[in-house]
Amino acid sequence: MSESRVICLEGTQLPPRELIGGKAWSIGRMLSLGLRVPPAFVLPVSECSKYHEGGAVLEDEVWTGVLEGIAYLETMTGRRFGDPEAPLLVSVRSGAAISMPGMMDTVLNLGVTDGVEVGLANLTGNAEYALDTHARFCHQYGDVVLKADLETYSGGMSAEEIRAEVLTDTDEEIPRDPFQQLSGAICAVFNSWDSPRAKAYRRHWNMNEVGGTAVTVQAMVFGNLGDRSGTGVLFTRNPLSGDPKPYGEWLPGGQGDDVVGGTHAVQDMVTLESAMPDVHEELLVWANILEREHGEVQDIEFTVQEGRLYLLQTRSAKRSPQAAIRIAVDLASEGAITAEEAVARVTPEQVRTVLLPKLDPVHSEKHLTASGEPACPGVACGIGVIDPDEAERRTAEGESIVLVRPNTSPNDVHGMIAAVAVVTELGGSTSHAAVVTRALGRPSVVGVGEGVAQSLAGKLLTVDGEGGRVYLGEMPMIETGISDDLWLTQFAKWAQDYAPIDVVESDPGGVLDLDAAGFGVGIEGNTIDFAGLASILVGAQCVRGSLLSTPAGMKAALDAGISRVVARPVLPLQVLAVRVAREK
Amino acid sequence: MTDIEFLAVHGLAVRKAAGPAAVADLLGLNEEEVTAALEAAAGKGLVAGARGTYMVAPDGQTMLAAQYPIVFAAAREDGALTAAYERFEKVNTGLLALFTDWQTVPTGSTRIPNDHEDKDYDNGIIDRLGDLHERAERVVGRCAEAQPRLTRYLERLESAYDRVLAGEIDWVSGVRIDSYHTVWFELHEDLLRMLGRTRQE
Repeated sequence: MSESRVICLEGTQLPPRELIGGKAWSIGRMLSLGLRVPPAFVLPVSECSKYHEGGAVLEDEVWTGVLEGIAYLETMTGRRFGDPEAPLLVSVRSGAAISMPGMMDTVLNLGVTDGVEVGLANLTGNAEYALDTHARFCHQYGDVVLKADLETYSGGMSAEEIRAEVLTDTDEEIPRDPFQQLSGAICAVFNSWDSPRAKAYRRHWNMNEVGGTAVTVQAMVFGNLGDRSGTGVLFTRNPLSGDPKPYGEWLPGGQGDDVVGGTHAVQDMVTLESAMPDVHEELLVWANILEREHGEVQDIEFTVQEGRLYLLQTRSAKRSPQAAIRIAVDLASEGAITAEEAVARVTPEQVRTVLLPKLDPVHSEKHLTASGEPACPGVACGIGVIDPDEAERRTAEGESIVLVRPNTSPNDVHGMIAAVAVVTELGGSTSHAAVVTRALGRPSVVGVGEGVAQSLAGKLLTVDGEGGRVYLGEMPMIETGISDDLWLTQFAKWAQDYAPIDVVESDPGGVLDLDAAGFGVGIEGNTIDFAGLASILVGAQCVRGSLLSTPAGMKAALDAGISRVVARPVLPLQVLAVRVAREK
Repeated sequence: MTDIEFLAVHGLAVRKAAGPAAVADLLGLNEEEVTAALEAAAGKGLVAGARGTYMVAPDGQTMLAAQYPIVFAAAREDGALTAAYERFEKVNTGLLALFTDWQTVPTGSTRIPNDHEDKDYDNGIIDRLGDLHERAERVVGRCAEAQPRLTRYLERLESAYDRVLAGEIDWVSGVRIDSYHTVWFELHEDLLRMLGRTRQE
């Protein structure tokens, strides 16, 4: 198929990322490691400009390539596109070399027809799933490809109802023919490259030289074919504690986003291990291969179809601050990365969080007075006040105030800014109050229950925004010492060794204070005059100031050849210095 | 009391404490008119002000509570507007979930603060913001057919969204600026007051 305009991802060679886009490249990389991934083909980036030059139509040669690609997927899966007996469903995704807003993202379940719906019901023994898949496809196609104004998808909508609504709204029909569905989705991806938003984004970022987007077409696998199927997520290490033992969630009989969506009760990996030990073993081996290849903890999505494991996606795992330090140290100790790299893997903010004092859980428990949903982490102590104006006034007089509200409106924001912590009776972790407190970094607990605010008013309170708890009185805090934790001790040693500048808690000699010199940060809209900064740094040996906590400030200090920085604690700035020096 | 005086006090109530320029911006009105209206309202004890910043006085709150059902009687009976408001609530749910995903990242069984180090993650959210913004345009457009001044919120949302696209990430949910969340939060408050609904969060 060397002359084809379409590339089948076979794992024998990995085409460059610039040619096939990020998503196809990631699939190709897993294949080249010998891992099983649902088969896929890609229309490369070069086809995007040809499509637009040709007047926004797919040339015959390209369509021939697409048909060859579908034939390849059919061979690999033993299924046929549009065949009710053994239906092949595919996903279509955009894939520029760099991700950008405004692009059409994904359409799933292409290939569903009335006949295929019946076939799916027979295959899975689950008519409800088949109905839902058909309706979801129509909704997504109507929404994403035809741009109909539809309500958010919820169960209970039928495919025919959605088809009718889309027709009324757009005067266009959702194709009933699988191949028309496919060409419609491919064209929609290419068209989205020229959407006003995508164009505006490229203009903002001077990305006009980036030539277009690729289109990846991939076979879908089924996690709901009988009791040897399911879907799950595996972290190669525990993302919360950093424990090197893999950690995962498994949903027997689950399909697609069921795990990620958080709508189903998931089980742990032990269930998979006892049901299908060979699959579990294979998954762990593959996870290990991916972690070594990337030199980084992976967050892997997988599906098991009738006892066969498929990897869907892998990416670097998000992790808690504690886990970030432990994982970085462990990876370096295992020889996967260098010690310097380990220091750079952790952000200064993560280090600061780890060093914060913690509540003493044993002592606090008997003082618990209210609990709700954690909205913003952190611990703070103050007097409970209901009226935001009073909160603002008493803060100005030097008191520490916890704002306790039945609910929150824009009228309360000034009180939230003034308060050290916020507690609300109503609302969940996605309420306006939660959004505002997180933006402010105020510890907050929401949804403690109606009538509670009144009972907290006037009392001294300690708010634990991480645990979602409110305590009566001032709770004692436990300081975190670097030597308390084995990994932190090692990490701090490496940070000191590799920091390109000395960071000390105090210095007896002359210290240039950048805040006093007018180069402070923390005031919104205050822009720093870096030319002026460079001139006052000339000849200085030792400096302090809030600006040094920013990458630009640290870079200026390193560029000026400053030998010593005064800060407390020292570790976050050492980490920042290592990171900045590596980027230079 | 003139219509513009009432609107100026209403706009101030949404903003809490603000100068005439900010209130005029919220209402989409001329700043001089709003300045005059606020001064007149101050003369009647409806708003209190110092150094160019006003707040609604207790008498003003009483006046608003009494006037809302009268001034917005037609709006509250307008089926097209209340239907649009129901859609607004759905977009609101989607947007609040988006702000939460912007600020915190799901990992394992919990969420951790987003340090904005992962550009792919952030771009995914900005992409979703684009989709929700298009839905917001439609739903606010429908509300504005009944209350044309609400168009001004769309312009402010558009401006916040453009800054986000240009890489100024504070404009998603920053508090002290007219971020997407700040403007949306005010629009929500404005609609709740007009339609006489109570906030459930």
